Amino acid sequence: MNIDAGTNIVETSGLTKRFGARVAVDAVDLHVPRGSAFGYLGPNGAGKTTLIRMLLGLTGASAGTMRLLGRPVPAERSAALARVGAIVEEPRFHGHLTGRENLTVIAAARGPEAHGRIEGALARVGLARRADERVKRYSLGMRQRLGVARSLLADPELLILDEPTNGLDPAGIHEFRAMIRGFVAEGRTVLLSSHLLDEVEKICDEVAIVDHGRVVMQGSIADLAAGGEQTILIATSDEERAVALLAEHRAVASATAAAEGIRVRFHPDVDAEPAADDIGRRLVLAGLAIRRFEPARASLEQRFLEITSRLEEAA
Amino acid sequence: MSTTTATTSLSRRLTRVPRRPRLVGAEFLKLRKRRGLVLSTLALTVVPMIIAYTVLLILHAANPAKYGPAGGLENFSGSMELLSQLGIVAAILVGATLGAGDQSSGVFRELVVTGRSRLALLAARVPAGLGLVLTAVGAAFALTAGASTVFAGSSDIPGAGLLVSSAAWLALVTGLALVLALGVSSALGSRGTTIGILLGWQLIAMPLLLQFGALGSLREGLLEAATQRLEPAKLFEGGVTVPMSLTAALAVIAAWIVVPLALGAWRTCTRDA
Repeated sequence: MNIDAGTNIVETSGLTKRFGARVAVDAVDLHVPRGSAFGYLGPNGAGKTTLIRMLLGLTGASAGTMRLLGRPVPAERSAALARVGAIVEEPRFHGHLTGRENLTVIAAARGPEAHGRIEGALARVGLARRADERVKRYSLGMRQRLGVARSLLADPELLILDEPTNGLDPAGIHEFRAMIRGFVAEGRTVLLSSHLLDEVEKICDEVAIVDHGRVVMQGSIADLAAGGEQTILIATSDEERAVALLAEHRAVASATAAAEGIRVRFHPDVDAEPAADDIGRRLVLAGLAIRRFEPARASLEQRFLEITSRLEEAA
Repeated sequence: MSTTTATTSLSRRLTRVPRRPRLVGAEFLKLRKRRGLVLSTLALTVVPMIIAYTVLLILHAANPAKYGPAGGLENFSGSMELLSQLGIVAAILVGATLGAGDQSSGVFRELVVTGRSRLALLAARVPAGLGLVLTAVGAAFALTAGASTVFAGSSDIPGAGLLVSSAAWLALVTGLALVLALGVSSALGSRGTTIGILLGWQLIAMPLLLQFGALGSLREGLLEAATQRLEPAKLFEGGVTVPMSLTAALAVIAAWIVVPLALGAWRTCTRDA
């Protein structure tokens, strides 16, 4: 593999897709860095698949520009897609052909060098021993793996996976995650579209949150999570007294007892670190034993819900 | 041209040459692995010829005074008429499957994602389809030609010239049916609809229109009128023939190749995958 580092592997500008009056993808500016696992996260119907279909030339764009691997699409679509592997929605195959034959068909379209990758791709996804069975006898998990093998025929710099874990059992999902991280470790870029927050959080380094066809936030998972509410968790020897003390503190917006302790939420304009230090001192001075005192890390799910609920309120 | 340039150019040519055959090979693989389709094709081409000559042999053996030899020119002519009609049906089945197979299975999308030109994907289907249809029709023709010669007895046998021209004509009519079906099914994206439309057209509408004298020279635009113009004279005597020049017949045939393929290509290139 020969992968240039340091540039965006996918770039879109003002990318728009309309179906009549309905706008499925609304002026999306997307920047996917090379060598990362990038999550394209949004609820069902947010326009994720439509964006992927435009990138891959499966449907035309109504407006905007796209670049894949530095090449303008659709002008240089053929050259760009030569090093792109993709699974769009559920991977489809000729059921009357075997797994190996299905790969042969795709390799024929990709060129002679792709034929040499068939055996390696089958082995990599663990299908070498079942490659000569007809695909119509494959389980959904096997089809997903065959879809990945098919993507690998391109020796892809970029893998585009649209809801890749749909229908997989927990073991399959776990295996899939490990496989994707393996691709990233090799220097490939993975663009993963999903409506599953947990999945994106576990697999991806960067994420774009999309809603109603628009990218509403984009950045690293850590940055996005950190941009949420500032909250700490405290457990003490007397929760009732602690809650009363905390409620009087100027920096505290709310203090609520929960199973894991007292969840203390600061006012948005407060610098959380000195405020937390001050709270700790006051609790100790009040004679309370502190058993737990830590920042409550906002999950991507919390952040996602914050963002989307704000959008709903604004609508 | 420098040596390096020449070597690069040759190397490019060498690496490009196998791509089209690979694509054609892949299309042929998809076809030949469809057992039902292959069996149907054989059932419409080879099997009827085996049955026909077996029946003729039995009849002749049972009552030579009433039934002449199984072979000979007359039976060859009859067999060719049957084979051409059934061959066209087989070609329609194969062409319709080729044109709509990727679309209906969802694999068209996966092929487009490779970046390969949609036109190249369509173009590869033509030789692949011809490969299957002409193999089956060719085997049936060989059987017919052999049987009509071997079992001719005292009857006239078809001469070498007639055999060659008959084979070429059979290849033409079945090949045209394949291209027509491929183009229509690529445009419609539906195998079943294509088969329904084309069988209705080929077996009912076109023969009726050919006999409808009031249409006058408009009938020259019908494919069957053009192919009848090219058929060996000794094969089909007494059929309805629309008088037309050889040039006109060739032009009509060319139009029946180009128009459906162009429609299929346009739809293949413009449809959402």
